[in-house]
Amino acid sequence: MKNIAKNLLLASIGIASSSQANDLNINGFLSVGASMLDNDKVEISGYDTNGGFKQDTILGLQLSKQVNDSTTVTGQLVSRGSEDYNTESAWAYINFAANDDLDLRMGRLRVPFYYYSDFLEVGFAYDWIRPPAEVYSVPFSSVDGVDATYRFSIGNWDNSAQAYYGRYTPEGAGVDLRNFTGLALSGQTGDFSLRASYHRLEIISDGTGSFGAVNQGAAALIGTTGSALNTGLLAAGYSNQDIAGAVDDFTLTGQEIGFYGIAAGYDNGDYSAIAEYTQSFGDAPFIPIVNTYLVKAAKRFSDITAHLTFTSSETELDSGINETIQKSLMLEDKQSSIILGARYDYDSSSALKFEIQQLTEDMRSGAGEIDETGMLYSIAIDLVF
Amino acid sequence: MKTFKHSCSVLLIGLASSLASAEISVIVSTNNPNESIDQNTVSKIFLGKAKSFPDGSQAVPIDQDDGAAARVAFNSTVLGKSASQLKSYWSRLIFTGKGTPPKQSGNDAAVKELVANNPNIIGYVDSSVVDSSVKVVHKF
Repeated sequence: MKNIAKNLLLASIGIASSSQANDLNINGFLSVGASMLDNDKVEISGYDTNGGFKQDTILGLQLSKQVNDSTTVTGQLVSRGSEDYNTESAWAYINFAANDDLDLRMGRLRVPFYYYSDFLEVGFAYDWIRPPAEVYSVPFSSVDGVDATYRFSIGNWDNSAQAYYGRYTPEGAGVDLRNFTGLALSGQTGDFSLRASYHRLEIISDGTGSFGAVNQGAAALIGTTGSALNTGLLAAGYSNQDIAGAVDDFTLTGQEIGFYGIAAGYDNGDYSAIAEYTQSFGDAPFIPIVNTYLVKAAKRFSDITAHLTFTSSETELDSGINETIQKSLMLEDKQSSIILGARYDYDSSSALKFEIQQLTEDMRSGAGEIDETGMLYSIAIDLVF
Repeated sequence: MKTFKHSCSVLLIGLASSLASAEISVIVSTNNPNESIDQNTVSKIFLGKAKSFPDGSQAVPIDQDDGAAARVAFNSTVLGKSASQLKSYWSRLIFTGKGTPPKQSGNDAAVKELVANNPNIIGYVDSSVVDSSVKVVHKF
């Protein structure tokens, strides 16, 4: 017993001395943006025709410390203008480096949905003011769980494979995202990079919050004669008796949602390009398949980078019964944008950005067709420190 | 005033030629068993893609301070990136916990001293300061 205590003491002295040798790393990023929409016929969440500074304003502060040879703790606090500057832990994890090639992490992690997921909010790390919302549309970005990242080389390709498992309960949504798991593979050689990822999760609603409200709304509409949903179900061949049972089909709980994404990038220092495609799908009749993609090309002129992006998001209509229901629910939805922008690196850790985005919304439903276009003008300053 | 201008231009020419002719050496400790390291491996070590020397021992890269002549030359020749591109590269890794940039460790003399005293450290200096305390594994 005495020996154990002695060993523990020695071990703790060892940890203390090695931690003194390694500094506490403090890094941060700040983006301050202003933007204005030219009309109110199109809707971009959080942006309006009066202009505003909040939507693209984000402050992030990261602390990390190596506690011993193989273990690092990292915390990243992010405060977003779009959420009234409420501060959230985007990352908070312990990293254990099993060896040079394998990292194991536990805690709050960033879900690797997209090419830019890992540094989604670090504006300085990419050319846009914000990643295009058509593709970067999943409304949350963290998961509480474990992951393993393995790095390996094949020929000239440097690759990594990341697998995670966890759970996420967004605040106030009344929903629990369980069995949240996925795999992301990426490879890089010279100027080229490739990425593929697959994710799935289970939605459990507790009947409260925004998910509960959607469920109650759907149940009420199904039972209301003459409502779009009631009419849609009747038109789709449901009998009045079936409709009572249909409430279960339209209750958002217990379903699985799947997501996959692929991306390819090229960057030779002067020219760069990226293409990304994603698809999300669910196993309930009213969760449609959504396909999104973006294609971006950029040219660097010393400190200035000019870039052009085309991006689109489109709901896929199933044939037969689902099509009628989707139409009655206005689930047929297409949105696309052209983004033209410039980034000016005025020193090695700050960038000034301008962007013009032309957004086109095209929605069809039982109620008719909506086809609108709007322009969003944005300016932002991104810093890392 | 004329003399001042003259001496300025002489200084500039001198600076330009010293920048153009400066040869940079990538150095390790004399106790480091690696004799020669190719540019690709040096680049991987400094970009955090490789964590060990060719012989398998741990490699710890150190940078010179921002703006140092040797650093500018090293970044553009060996890493093939501008200061902004490197900052952007590291900001993608720092904020995901996937890597941290090499520590800024001063000028030629400071880097040489750190390298000389630790067989795991790899750095780069102007070739003119190289002496028997360190071993050159790559030159450009």
